Amino acid sequence: MSAVFARLNMLMFIAWRNVWRNPIRSVLTVSALAGGVIMLILYYSLMAGISQQMIRFATEISTGRIQIQRQAFIQDQDLYATIPWQYLTQLEQQNPSLQFAPRLYAAALASHQESSTGVQIMAVDSQRERPVTKLLTHVRQGQMNLEQGIEQDGMTYAPVVLGYQLARNMGVTLGDELVLVSQAADGSIGNDLFRVAGILKPINPTFDRMGVLMSIESYKALMYLETGIHEIIVNFEIEPLQTSNSEDWLSTIQQQLMTQITAQEQAQPLDKLGGKVQVRNWREVSPSLSQMLALSHSMMLMTGVVVMSLASLGMLNTMLMAVHERRQEFAILRAIGMKRRWLLLMVSLESLFLALISAVMGSLLGTWMSLRFEHQGIDFSASMPDGYDWAGMVFEPVMHGLLLPEHIYQSCLMMLVISMLASLFPAWLSTRHRPAESMR
Amino acid sequence: MSGVWWWVKSRALFALMVLLLVPSVTAAGLTVDDLVQHMDSLWRGKTSKAVMSMQVKTERYERTMSMASWSLGQDYSLVVIREPIKDKGIATLKVEQNIWNYLPKINRVTKVPASMMSGSWMGSHFTNDDLVKESSYAEDYESAISFTGLRDGTDVYEVTSVPRPDSAVVWGKIVMILRQQDLLPVEVRYFDEQEILVRTLTFADEKQLDGRLVPMRMTLQPVDKSDESTTILYEDIEFNVPIAPSFFSLQNLKRMR
Repeated sequence: MSAVFARLNMLMFIAWRNVWRNPIRSVLTVSALAGGVIMLILYYSLMAGISQQMIRFATEISTGRIQIQRQAFIQDQDLYATIPWQYLTQLEQQNPSLQFAPRLYAAALASHQESSTGVQIMAVDSQRERPVTKLLTHVRQGQMNLEQGIEQDGMTYAPVVLGYQLARNMGVTLGDELVLVSQAADGSIGNDLFRVAGILKPINPTFDRMGVLMSIESYKALMYLETGIHEIIVNFEIEPLQTSNSEDWLSTIQQQLMTQITAQEQAQPLDKLGGKVQVRNWREVSPSLSQMLALSHSMMLMTGVVVMSLASLGMLNTMLMAVHERRQEFAILRAIGMKRRWLLLMVSLESLFLALISAVMGSLLGTWMSLRFEHQGIDFSASMPDGYDWAGMVFEPVMHGLLLPEHIYQSCLMMLVISMLASLFPAWLSTRHRPAESMR
Repeated sequence: MSGVWWWVKSRALFALMVLLLVPSVTAAGLTVDDLVQHMDSLWRGKTSKAVMSMQVKTERYERTMSMASWSLGQDYSLVVIREPIKDKGIATLKVEQNIWNYLPKINRVTKVPASMMSGSWMGSHFTNDDLVKESSYAEDYESAISFTGLRDGTDVYEVTSVPRPDSAVVWGKIVMILRQQDLLPVEVRYFDEQEILVRTLTFADEKQLDGRLVPMRMTLQPVDKSDESTTILYEDIEFNVPIAPSFFSLQNLKRMR
């Protein structure tokens, strides 16, 4: 056993010396591979940053981590598919660690002077909404005090806050009058005058184009809907320790809420038409988002393979040259009785050293760069002040990276595997020469 | 015996010949245009003034409204809600293809945009489009008498209307059934583009008014929701009352409450 180790030691020594026989060539190879690792680490942290922003936007701004709705509301926004208010208070009592925000929705016709358009009303309870989502701080212009009426010409108007594109399309600015007309729950024509109190920042393309935000009191006065609420948004703090298994945490809470609601449904049966109460997490609420995240994961893997394969061509070239130069040496080694497999191992060790140096250099530089990137971000706000929307998601104009430890070791591992595969051919070639011919 | 047989045969032959030779003209000499025209002006005359109640029944709510209406030709009409008190004064003005609603609570007139045309009118099963489209029925649809004869114990005419190729309409086919003896409408069936029956409008409680028989009750029933319906009950109709086109103005819309 010790003999094997001694021999391995010797081989490693020779391989290490061989690496530095042509320093320039080795440095070039190392920089190609390290560059690949840096690129990958940066790319991974960028993708993670984007995903994190998407999830944050989806959960913190509007949809929350968990949503509770009636089946008929999910299917076709049925105005009457409400959850009784008692359900909400009950849930709040049972789960003091979770935060709940009730919401009501309705389709309506909004008009301002000559322009009129179909809108989607969303009514929130400011006090409950604030701890749950950042919706109410996501305002671009004006103020978000939905409960306080606006005095004008001796009248008090209920305030509304509009999606930015809706405001632009209707030509509405702060303080303007807005008429909302809808079919109220009792079949009559619900109608009221409002004043525009604020304009939101981009949330999602639909809400930006159609969204009108108001208080639950104003909603009830407009829609005559007293039976309950359409949606309960649930959010909770994820403690740092739980970040890694936040998905398990999410489904545990989801299960717990479902059990409590099922119990309530038995205690206080709901009307048949609205269907059962559903508890869904953000992945189920926006499947396109979670599909996109899964897609970006496999895209990251493919990009990694491509980048690393290109970088490993440098390794292949270097090792082919090295093996070619040292044909005579190898022939002598073979002639004095070195076994082929030891020769193979020696050449492979040389490649491994190159790869390891690249891994260390690459991960150090890559970490440093992506930490800077995480800290400062890339600012597009000069050209896109509103951010941009892509696949139904709105992004902030400042792009931040997010470096996770697995990005570093995944990149290094990928580089090591691919470059070692690339060096197999030169190593095999080194054992194929005939000593007698090579020494001539 | 043979005399009777001959009589029956000759009548049958005659009826067959009539059907084969002049399918678009009824035995009474009416063309399909006459029938469509008749249906169209039955509740309207040249001008009309009516008091009616509308009862809306859905699986979620039930409500009854009392309304007054005025019309002039096919293009002008005005409907004002009288009761319930909460909705009193809410008015709908139709001029040609446009609809405005007046809402007294906020004292505003809003024009119904094209995107809301398929929306419910006053919470009923009628849509805004139903109001607008009645003025262009003859232009939008190609009608033909598709059946003449006995059905459910009554001699009827059946008029089938299909949309003309370039008309923008909701229905794929409309079938009207009228009683032969007095041209009293019995039923209108509305089909979608797949020729599936979507809703039926039935008529009842006919009354002799101004020399014509007018059904005072019409009930619109969606097929997919059998327990829902909207019933309009005419309490009073007067025809050919003097109304000027200027009556149907946005100013008057506000004044009607």
